[in-house]
Amino acid sequence: MQKKLEQLRNDALKAIASASGEEQLQGIRVRLLGRKGELTALMKGLGALSPEERPSIGQLVNSVRDNIESTLEAALNAELERVKCERLQSEKIDVTLPGRNAQVGTKHPVSLVVEEVCEIFAGLGFSVAEGPEIEHDWYNFEALNFPPEHPARDMQDTFFVENDLLLRTHTSPVQIRTMLKQKPPVRIIAPGTVYRCDSDATHSPMFHQIEGLMVDKGVSFGDLKGILTVFTNQLFGQNTGVRLRPSFFPFTEPSAEVDIACVICGGKGCRVCKNSGWLEILGAGMVDPEVYRHVNYDPEDISGFAFGMGIERIAMLKYGINDMRLLFENDVRFLRQF
Amino acid sequence: MKITYNWLKEFVDFDHSPEQLAELLTMLGLEVEAMEKLGEGMDDVVVALVEEKRQHPNADKLSLCRVNNGRELLDVVCGAQNFKQGDIVALAQIGATLPGDFKIKRSKIRGEESCGMLCSEKELGLANESDGIMVLPVAVSSLGTPVFSALGMKDTLFEIGLTPNRADCLSVVGIAREVAAKLGIKIKYPLSALVEGNVSVESVIGVSVEDAELCPRYAARYISGCTVAPSPEWLVKRLNAIGIRSINNVVDVTNLVMMELGQPLHAFDCDRLAGKRIVVRRAEEGERFATLDGQQRLLMATDLVICDAERPVALAGVMGGENSEIEDSTTSILLESACFRPAAIRRTSKRLGLHTESSHRFERGTDVGGVTRALDRAAALVVELAGGALAQGSLDIYPGKSEPAAIEFRPERANSLIGIELQREEIIDILKKLECLVSEVSDGVFAVIPPSYRIDIEREVDLIEEVARLNGFDRIPATMPIAKVVSDRPTRHQQLEKRVRDILVNNGMNEIINFSFTSPDAACKLMLGQDDPRRITIKLANPLVDEQSVMRTSLLPGLLETTARNISFRSLDLKLFEMRRVYLPVAGDIMPREPIFIVGALTGSRYGAGWSRTDELIDFYDAKGIIENLLELLNVGGISWVPDTPEPYFHPGKSCTVFSGRERIGSVGEIHPTVLENYGLEKTVFCFELDFEKLVKLSRSKLVIRAPSRFPDSTRDIAMLAPDGLLFEKIIGCVNSVKAKEIEDVIIFDVYRGKGIPEGYKSIAIRVRYRSYDRTLTDDEISALHRKVTDILVSKLQVTLR
Repeated sequence: MQKKLEQLRNDALKAIASASGEEQLQGIRVRLLGRKGELTALMKGLGALSPEERPSIGQLVNSVRDNIESTLEAALNAELERVKCERLQSEKIDVTLPGRNAQVGTKHPVSLVVEEVCEIFAGLGFSVAEGPEIEHDWYNFEALNFPPEHPARDMQDTFFVENDLLLRTHTSPVQIRTMLKQKPPVRIIAPGTVYRCDSDATHSPMFHQIEGLMVDKGVSFGDLKGILTVFTNQLFGQNTGVRLRPSFFPFTEPSAEVDIACVICGGKGCRVCKNSGWLEILGAGMVDPEVYRHVNYDPEDISGFAFGMGIERIAMLKYGINDMRLLFENDVRFLRQF
Repeated sequence: MKITYNWLKEFVDFDHSPEQLAELLTMLGLEVEAMEKLGEGMDDVVVALVEEKRQHPNADKLSLCRVNNGRELLDVVCGAQNFKQGDIVALAQIGATLPGDFKIKRSKIRGEESCGMLCSEKELGLANESDGIMVLPVAVSSLGTPVFSALGMKDTLFEIGLTPNRADCLSVVGIAREVAAKLGIKIKYPLSALVEGNVSVESVIGVSVEDAELCPRYAARYISGCTVAPSPEWLVKRLNAIGIRSINNVVDVTNLVMMELGQPLHAFDCDRLAGKRIVVRRAEEGERFATLDGQQRLLMATDLVICDAERPVALAGVMGGENSEIEDSTTSILLESACFRPAAIRRTSKRLGLHTESSHRFERGTDVGGVTRALDRAAALVVELAGGALAQGSLDIYPGKSEPAAIEFRPERANSLIGIELQREEIIDILKKLECLVSEVSDGVFAVIPPSYRIDIEREVDLIEEVARLNGFDRIPATMPIAKVVSDRPTRHQQLEKRVRDILVNNGMNEIINFSFTSPDAACKLMLGQDDPRRITIKLANPLVDEQSVMRTSLLPGLLETTARNISFRSLDLKLFEMRRVYLPVAGDIMPREPIFIVGALTGSRYGAGWSRTDELIDFYDAKGIIENLLELLNVGGISWVPDTPEPYFHPGKSCTVFSGRERIGSVGEIHPTVLENYGLEKTVFCFELDFEKLVKLSRSKLVIRAPSRFPDSTRDIAMLAPDGLLFEKIIGCVNSVKAKEIEDVIIFDVYRGKGIPEGYKSIAIRVRYRSYDRTLTDDEISALHRKVTDILVSKLQVTLR
């Protein structure tokens, strides 16, 4: 009996080792451990043994069965694992094929710059104000201290509509509209579309500006310099050089043009900055008392600054675009890059 | 404004290099826009002596020269005839580059070697035309030195972009004054030594100013016995350098003095002035006058004219007349130096389109106090260059004379407005450097009288600007204002504007921006009805081109044009949107409305060509889907899609109007084939149009959120045969009319026409999802509900279950 069991164990382990595939392993299980299996048959013969033999043979039978079962289990698991691996191998895909992505669109670069500039100024405490594009001469010129027949009007080629209306030539009339509605303190920026009758590689008859205005007690030109320095550093990167130089706008006094160190050459001089190392990006100044007179503010009591910048100019510098017309051709091959 | 470095140096003494000077001027607010170094890179053009000149053996018109450049003798072939042995000439040596990128190389001309070129003025960029080569008026001792240095012509030309307020800087002296003020030194004004004769000017000519309002001052001098001739070399060169053409010695003097002092002058041929009288008056309406450019001008009563006893002889401040201009035969001259009212000169010059150096200055304002200085300077120069006798005295009619007004000025105010802390004395010193007269009125308050040429300084704030400017903007510390305001959040309108843009971008759309003006025929191309309000547009009085002459009332024309343009560039799959204002006239109000609209266009393939999806074409439901998405995210409710849109530019069967409740908010559809043709589009385009202002009104900011049910759902399908015209909306309405809260949703998952379905019918399959909030529904409950749904469909609609 003992011999038979040992024999059986050896044969079984050999058979398991040489079996291939799940089917053969299951066959072995049936042949040995099944209801009519060889080991089952041997176990049935246990009853015929003497009471002395029974415990030791019984133990042996159990050990042979456990041995076979665990070996078989292990072999089956290994086989399943192998099959899984094989399947996984066979399922290999080309991960370099393009993904099935949802198509994402793009905002126009002008919108992107407007959003970014508004965001920076929101952080500096400025609210957004708006105004009409078809504007009355009084808001666009007179209240901003451009008297009729004044040469300063030549600075801005104007599209006229009837009834003293015109297409606003700058976003500055929003200053007037805001101050007429609101008492100081005022801190606004006003993005918007403006028009001048001029068209070539660097001028578009329609373009965009962002106007800024801050009026309060004790606001100085130094504050204007501070705000604009923070702004340019946030927009173009920390340590971007900023320079203010005297200029003229009828609605500010003193007035300044604001230059940043050329973002293309870093100030060494290149074609973009005409070898000056500086790029003009803003006009600014302290609000002229004449403007306050038109909106019933008392210049002895408050002071403030205003500034304005061209969005297209900033977009062109930020994205390295050298022809303004690209911005209004709306070629999707251009737009999809933003 | 053009000036040269050397010219400036005549009036103010500084050591700055041209580059440093440019920086100094720019930081004073006189922006140097361009700088050109005359003679730069021309050091290889040197002074040389013609030692020998003989005939070229193989060419009649050429000569062979041996020239001495101070170091060696060189053979040069030359084609000019205007020089001889012993002349000093300009030799461009091998390696020199002349204007026009003309490089001088060693060459053989008709078999003879030439080691350089003898240059003409034209070849050196010194003149537009020249006869033969330059023969230099310099000494033999300068052989070998660069020609530009030897002639003292090394100079730098500055082009200064002047702001319109700085009329005082439209002259070399004006700029010199700025430099002197900045450097704290004195300017040297040009000297004019006048030698007057015995004849008094009054005895020769009379002046009367009839319109003192437009002519506050008129001064004149008389010179007789002059000889009009070409100007001397130095004068021609000086004017040429700043772009002014030389005419003759008299006219050139008036131009020179204008450039020097900023005062425009005019010279009349006095013998041609009828009655030997000058009358300054307004023109008569319709009066005709020939300006000296040969043009006939029709005058108006707003124009100021200078007349003799009979007729106009000059358009005041703008241009002189043919009838009195200086000619070669002229011998007696009346020199005019005057001051005119800027607005009047501007009006005339603008109306006639006649912009001159003179009108440019007068319309910006000239120095009424500088009238006689310029007149004397010019008179002295005319006598010096053209000879003749200057009459005694000058006529000076000065009806506009007034005491200069003092401006009250507080240095403390300057400090606080600028944000600096200068001592009172430093501030006063700055004003004095600008030639202001300053006196203290009371403690901390000063009376300041600016110089007469600074017509731009009228108020305290103007003086404060001068302090900031001269002290230097770079010396103002950057500070941060103390915030006493908290900024408002963006308005709902502003927030939603950004949100719509984000949603459309996330739906795969590219934003475009078109011009706000469009072509007047846009309405026709869209087939808008004759009474469509969008045909009423706001027109530009001075459009650049007809295609941009009216303000748009719809964004669609621009969108369709952009679509067509992109397709012409072979970008065939497009999803474009624009979100901008339109401009609608309002009856009874001069100000139009400017509401924002949203338009979108979709065309081409839905996913684009690729390996992973079949190439399907975009259709109506893609456009509708984007609007559904947008309206849902904006929380605009009560949406209905009503067929039979009134918009003429849509396909009548594939378009609808979108309502929220009873408010019409937009439309969507396939573009009408005729409109496609009008825009040159060959493929179908689907568009939508939404009124953003209405969306803002209808968008609810409050969301109602409900916790999801924790119980399982159960779905049942219904397949039915329905007449072709039955709208899905009716089916949904029917299912919802059961009003059971256990019906969670209904989706349509199949619509089929074709094989197996009778003509005029379609097969529709819907799936109803049942779920309760408080328990698991039993099979019986679901079946009972579902029966209700199918029953009502069959009874209310003409459908049969399949």
